[in-house]
Parts: sequence; C-alpha cells; structure tokens
Amino acid sequence: MLEDEIDRLMPTAHISLDEPPAEKQLAIEFLLDLVVENGRVTERETALADLKEREKEATTGVGMGIGIPHAKTTAVEAPSVAFARSSEGIDFDAMDDEPAKLLFMILVPEEGGEEHLQILSSLSRALMHEDVREKLLNAEDEETVQNTVREAVN
Amino acid sequence: MPERVVEVVPEDGLHARPASKFVETANEYDSEVKVGPEDGDLVNAASMLAVTGLGVSGGEKVRISAEGDDAEAALDALEEVLSTPEDEL
Repeated sequence: MLEDEIDRLMPTAHISLDEPPAEKQLAIEFLLDLVVENGRVTERETALADLKEREKEATTGVGMGIGIPHAKTTAVEAPSVAFARSSEGIDFDAMDDEPAKLLFMILVPEEGGEEHLQILSSLSRALMHEDVREKLLNAEDEETVQNTVREAVN
Repeated sequence: MPERVVEVVPEDGLHARPASKFVETANEYDSEVKVGPEDGDLVNAASMLAVTGLGVSGGEKVRISAEGDDAEAALDALEEVLSTPEDEL
C-alpha cells in the first residue's frame, strides 16, 4: 500500500544529502524546510510548534541511529515525509544513546486519523533491517534514497 | 515462558510517551521481554524502533512475554504501563 505512495509522500525534493546541522532542534528545522521549500507547509511556525510539542512528550530518537520526528499539524494539507542524514550523527536523546544518522520527518494533516502512525510503523519496520540502513547511509543520490524506501516498505 | 495478553489503554496506542515508558520499563529487567500482536510475531520490547514498528492502536490487544529470573515482575510492570491512560503516566 505505502510503496505506491512514496512519490507522493516523499518526492525527491524532500530528500537532502547535504549535511544537516549537528543539533537536534536545528536538524528538525532543516528537515521541515525541505517540505516548506516544496510548498507543502502553509505555516512553518505552526508545523514547528507541533513537532516540538511531540518531541517534548517523548523523544523521536528511536535508537539504532535513527530519528523520526513527526507530528499531526494543521500546517500541511498532504501527508509528507522528508529525509536527511548526518555523517557524525546527532544526539537525539535516544534510549540506546546512539547518535541519529538517518533522519525522517513525517508531517500529516490534523484530520489524518491514524495515517501518521501507519507511516511511522511502516518506516520503523523497514529501518529494522541493517541492509536498508546501510543503503540509506551510502546512497549517492536522492533517487536511490527514494527507491530504497519504496522497496523497504513493501 | 510466562506471557499474557493485555489491552492497550492509552488512546493513541503504543506511541509517544506510553511507548517510551513501555520500552524504558522493558529495559529495567534482566529478562528478555517481547511484545507483539495477539496472534502475530513478537519483537524485542526493549527496542523503541521495534515497538514503534508494531503500530499498535489504543484498544488493541498485545501479547507480552518474558524469559528470565524476573519474568513475572517484568510482565507485571509492563502490564501496568499498558493499562494506564496516557495522562496518568
């Protein structure tokens, strides 16, 4: 189901292979700006506040070198996923203390129901596989990242 | 191996604070603790990524199992987390 929607959820414009800021909050803004620049966010500050609120409740650093900041927000009309990666890793307050190198952001409309949880759980399951993480860490272009995610969420 | 089936009370399911509390609790015990759908494969309950991957909604039932000397105590503690509404955690 999800694999057919990757082009819509995570267009290559939402994928950056540039080095994000090394600090968690700034890295979250870096991911958000990928979606902002693609014209999908009506109010950047609202989206950022919703992301921060979720982060305050519990960190989205899920361990194994992965951070998945996410929020339901009135600031987007279409569910959107963004990707960035950090070569040194970012302290994401993960329970296993592993710095996050692979970063995914999920933004879904407020009325999106459980869609964000479905995207979150599909992505998490995909990222459990070491070969998927390796491919994402080594991908040399945005298309490779997109295709890796598409194949992995099958 | 001790195991039990528990309903997930927090409205948003095993997500955000309840998930984080659940995984933290699993890490406090020496037993190997697993969690999963009532009729499906279980995953490592001490891994946030694995638990997030389950995508358990509020009101769903999960199976928890534990293997080790403190297995029953671990299951008691995990059951308590799953049975507590989010605003009381």
